Amino acid sequence: MGKGPLKFSLGLFCIFFLFQCEKDDICLSSIQENPDLVLLLLDAEENRLRKSPSGFSIRAIGTDSILPRPSSDSLSLPLKIQENNVQFEFILNQGTEEENRDTLQINYQRFDTFINGACGYRSTFILEDPPALILNPGDNWIKGFTILKDTIADETRAHLGILH
Amino acid sequence: MKHVRIWVFYISLLGGFPLGYGQQEEIPVQPIDSLEVKEKVPLSLRFGLDLYRIIRSQTTDDFNGFEVVGDLRLSQNFFIALELGAIESTQQIEQVNFTTNGTYYKLGFDYNMFENWEGMDNHVTIGLRYATSSHDQFLNNYTLLDRTRFWEGSNMLISNGFATGSRPNLNAQWLEVAVGFKVQLLKKIYMGLSLRLNRLLNDKIPENFDNIYIPGFYKKTENNNFGAGFNYTLTYRLPLRFRKK
Repeated sequence: MGKGPLKFSLGLFCIFFLFQCEKDDICLSSIQENPDLVLLLLDAEENRLRKSPSGFSIRAIGTDSILPRPSSDSLSLPLKIQENNVQFEFILNQGTEEENRDTLQINYQRFDTFINGACGYRSTFILEDPPALILNPGDNWIKGFTILKDTIADETRAHLGILH
Repeated sequence: MKHVRIWVFYISLLGGFPLGYGQQEEIPVQPIDSLEVKEKVPLSLRFGLDLYRIIRSQTTDDFNGFEVVGDLRLSQNFFIALELGAIESTQQIEQVNFTTNGTYYKLGFDYNMFENWEGMDNHVTIGLRYATSSHDQFLNNYTLLDRTRFWEGSNMLISNGFATGSRPNLNAQWLEVAVGFKVQLLKKIYMGLSLRLNRLLNDKIPENFDNIYIPGFYKKTENNNFGAGFNYTLTYRLPLRFRKK
């Protein structure tokens, strides 16, 4: 056997290893991850306009993690994936004598949808009807809820309005 | 123990190669063979197995497969070629774990570009295949894309529910450009290696999932129709039409 085929096959190996160096699929940071619930605080009386209460904060129940400060008047709340509900404490006039804490449970169903091979799956949440319950009795500052969009697939617009 | 014996068998096969190769070089000296040059090349059928897939099936738990190869020599340099295979493969790709199970066939031709010395029959080939697979995908488990992981347990492995389970009756079609060589080890035994560049034509996408891996095509990447593969074969030549004396 001559040296021709040997050189040729070596060349083939080189070409093949170049093709083997295909780019790995990378999940881009611009891809929407598991979406958070986006809330708006609305006025219960005046045509449901946006209204920001004073001394307001939210605490997640069942974890020591602190929710990030809202950057605008809409609030994003991360939902649990191992259960179909999640509880938050909505605190009004925090640190004053008129402090009022309402405990809210948000109810939803989870469906996981495929994005691509690199990113895998993310959840889409569907709000139940009613979407939320107030767990503590008595003097509640939250008057009700309104569903703005029942399918939580992204964070581009608000899903739930809280009337107060 | 069974595996060890099978391994010894493979190693003994590999060890036999240089021996057969050495014997082959003596052949042109024999006067009978030198007369063959002007004889018509007989129609012959060559068939065999891909060794790589057999070895991989033996050495790894998450791969089980084989490929049978065959070609029919129509003239000195032209072959009709066929590959048939079956694969069951479990893979973890990023956050998704799935099992692909299916069969494929590849039909096409090889053209030999290598001019042999007298009495030798080695090939350097270029060829084309049309290939099709019939397979199913089973999503075993996954974790969700969540960069913040606020709640504990948000990275849990999800192995039941809405998204997991079987996606049956899938298929794919693609073209392959195959370049390779075959070396005549003994008079009727050949060893071959071929490399393939694949171009996906069409595939039936599983519901709420993708054909990340296709039997015979191998890994399918996002926004890219190309793939690559290879085989490493041992084949036996069976003459169908004998030379006139």
